[in-house]
Amino acid sequence: MTATVTEQLSIDQARSYLLKRAKARGVQLEVYALRNTSTNIRAFAGEVSEFKLQARQGVGLRALRDSAWGYSFTENLAQNALDRALDMAVENAELVAPESGAGLVAWAEPPALDLYGEGLSGVKVEQKVQVALDLERTAREADPRVTSVPYGAYMDSDSETLVGNTEGLSRGFKSLQAFHFVAPLVSENGQNKMQRDWQFTREFTELDPTRTALKAVEKAVALLGARPAPSGQFPAVFSGGCLADLLDLFSPMFSGKMVEEGKSPLAGRLGEAVASELVTLVDDATLPRGMNSRAFDVEGCPSVPVTLIEAGRLTAFLHNAQTAARAGTQSTGHAARMGYQGVVGVGPSNLLMLAGKTPDAEVRAGVRGVLVTGVSGGHAGANPVTGDFSLQAEGFWLEDGGVAHPLEVFTVAGNILEVLAGIEAVSDTVEWTPDAVGAPAVRVAHLAIGGN
Amino acid sequence: MMLDETLVSDVLTLARAGGADFAELFMEDTVNTTLRLHQGELKDAGGGNLFGAGLRLLYGTRVVYAYTNDVTASGLRDLASAVASARGGAGEVERGGAGGLDFRKVKVTPHYRARQHPLTAAKREKLALMRRASGAAQVGDVKTVDVNYLDRVQRVLIANSEGLWAEDERVQSRLSVSAIAQDGTLRQSGFYGPGASQGLEFFETVTPESIGTEAARIANAMLRADYAPAGKLPVVIGNEFGGVIFHEACGHILETTAVEKNASVFADKFGQRIAQDCVSAVDDGTLPGSWGMVNVDDEGMPAQRTVLIEKGILKSFLVDRVGEMKTGYARTGSGRRQNYTFAPASRMRSTFIDNGDQTPDDLIRSVSHGIYARKMGGGSVSPGTGDYNFAVNEAYMIRNGEIAEPLRGASLVGNGAQDLLNIVGVAGDLSLGQGMCGSISGSLPTDVGQPHILVSEITVGGRA
Repeated sequence: MTATVTEQLSIDQARSYLLKRAKARGVQLEVYALRNTSTNIRAFAGEVSEFKLQARQGVGLRALRDSAWGYSFTENLAQNALDRALDMAVENAELVAPESGAGLVAWAEPPALDLYGEGLSGVKVEQKVQVALDLERTAREADPRVTSVPYGAYMDSDSETLVGNTEGLSRGFKSLQAFHFVAPLVSENGQNKMQRDWQFTREFTELDPTRTALKAVEKAVALLGARPAPSGQFPAVFSGGCLADLLDLFSPMFSGKMVEEGKSPLAGRLGEAVASELVTLVDDATLPRGMNSRAFDVEGCPSVPVTLIEAGRLTAFLHNAQTAARAGTQSTGHAARMGYQGVVGVGPSNLLMLAGKTPDAEVRAGVRGVLVTGVSGGHAGANPVTGDFSLQAEGFWLEDGGVAHPLEVFTVAGNILEVLAGIEAVSDTVEWTPDAVGAPAVRVAHLAIGGN
Repeated sequence: MMLDETLVSDVLTLARAGGADFAELFMEDTVNTTLRLHQGELKDAGGGNLFGAGLRLLYGTRVVYAYTNDVTASGLRDLASAVASARGGAGEVERGGAGGLDFRKVKVTPHYRARQHPLTAAKREKLALMRRASGAAQVGDVKTVDVNYLDRVQRVLIANSEGLWAEDERVQSRLSVSAIAQDGTLRQSGFYGPGASQGLEFFETVTPESIGTEAARIANAMLRADYAPAGKLPVVIGNEFGGVIFHEACGHILETTAVEKNASVFADKFGQRIAQDCVSAVDDGTLPGSWGMVNVDDEGMPAQRTVLIEKGILKSFLVDRVGEMKTGYARTGSGRRQNYTFAPASRMRSTFIDNGDQTPDDLIRSVSHGIYARKMGGGSVSPGTGDYNFAVNEAYMIRNGEIAEPLRGASLVGNGAQDLLNIVGVAGDLSLGQGMCGSISGSLPTDVGQPHILVSEITVGGRA
């Protein structure tokens, strides 16, 4: 470590430099580079409480030596740091076990997607600050039972993704996101409830903080007066957002990597009925308004929509180049990694269960049971290896299809495949989560509830 | 020295040109290694270099934060100008005298020094440790074993406009095993992942074999388990990682980031009874070599041992710089952040319920119908309401004071402040477990811990 830091290259220069050095050394190399600038503004009690400007970039390297991958990454883009990163990737490749199906590909051209819109260049900082302040103030003043608005923020992000490899591939895309969310805390008769609402867009001018704030307060207030939930098996309706959260937790079941490692309960079931005929599930990275839309995946493979479950039948898994080669199929363009850190695995983009034909209100018609509007604790309480879940839940008690009263914190437990197989009705409206998963509301005949 | 003193002084002065009361520079150069063994073969080898700097300005208690990977002199000056203008026009800094800052070097005394430093140990040595763990996990019905190895060396410089200058090196090593037992269509996983702020010598005390064996034991024990019942029941929670329940349900709402927003149910309970006499709880950054050890926090303050609850009475919150300004409680060396991309916030270090005077057997014998949650999984809490949830990775029925059949799929839900009062028995077998804690300033290594405890009733979410 020295007291002077040498000049840094741009990510584009770093990509070229690394590929040139790799070719000179006879190393097959893939470079994945990201550059992101973003603004994050939090408001509390009528003032900006936090203002964050972020500029981050780095390169992820993947070297291929005798069918073995070695990884490394660096945020220091000085030439000597890039050389070190290349050395490390090669050293790692020499340690790792060879993999069948390992290879670098110069993929066909990706689709032309506009994920950038008008950009944020014309938007002043003051306008962004105003969004954060409006969110907080509107939520605070919406109802006397709002005691504070602990969480509320405006965020935007302007990013560029580059991929290149020594087989001649070189491509990139830019994307833009503007987002806000708010979580007001409401209180009545010693009960505290907090709910969140949010909005995502690629055009700043579409943001509507007032609507978001009012909706968040409405959702929180609706939970006041909660009574204990009973314990036992009951008919249940999952809201679209709640089902989307469940599908998100269990999306690893569809990963070709989890399948080949024996960690998916769907392994070996391609072509079989795994869900109710009412269920059709797709993953589509090309949706113009999808939060996880992209023209190509982290290997540079072009994006195309993939149908995972069609009318209840399992039709495909998600694949990257290597898992596809081993499964005897083509990459679906779902190579994924945690930025330039981490390793290339498989992951969904925009995961969507298609809407059905039943009007939303009719999905719950006649039900005496629970309406589950949210689950939490999924990182520990949902097991994608087995499909089992046991989660904290929130929601309402339904009598004859109508909301009777909100419920105190309760649990829901079951198995995702049993839930999907037991779906009796599917609403005609899709709800999206901030994690880019969309689903309609559904009704099931039985769900295990833990309450008093 | 990571950066030249004159440059740092210039950057801090430049950053305050818009009228900020306080400026702080945090620079880091972190090298990590990640290895994954699947079925005895090294499948992934990675790691790299996290490298960047963050600048924090305070205008009163308002925070402006900016960061960059361009840590050249011009890159840092540009960052300082950007951060100053982000909240510009609030006035001019008083320029008392012409000189720069006269930095007051904080002598950072490490609580522990690594003997086998991860940067000098060969990858083959690390691989050998993983193979030992993998072999030990291949027992009983275990069919699939994954071993993950992680080490991290984070070098940091923290300097601020009050003249503070602190440098530190943080070393961490962790080995975790995930074992899946399978019999026909039955499948269960077991996980164990201890870690420490130590070099590879950590695995002399906690051997790779013991880590593999424990993961396999849980998977095998749970393979033929029945579903847990649902409803309110008395629960005995195991020691070590069982402490995650206190971490989530109470620890987070004792952080000033929650208290200052009035988003904590404990905000107005200072000095008051919030638990039974048998409960004392501590957050300690000074345990030598512990996973949650902090030589200096990420605001440059030496870490300390903080008694949170003494015999049921709330004695302290966890306080960072901004938390102190907003709540008036003195800083506790709890300002932490994952890396330069986060502004620091009040966070836990090693947080545990202290020893009581009963034995685990006493607690189990006192329950006629309930649950023994021996190994907890992860959990989370909503800071506004204190509502929490936890997965239980290894659970058993307790019938007439005896441990009975294994149970799967149990989770515990409840409310932190209410359930804290329901801890009615504490044993004397305190032990710590390691986890990553995610919150507003990122994901941080923290220890959780406790002796065995008895909670008079918790909502159990099963499906039987």
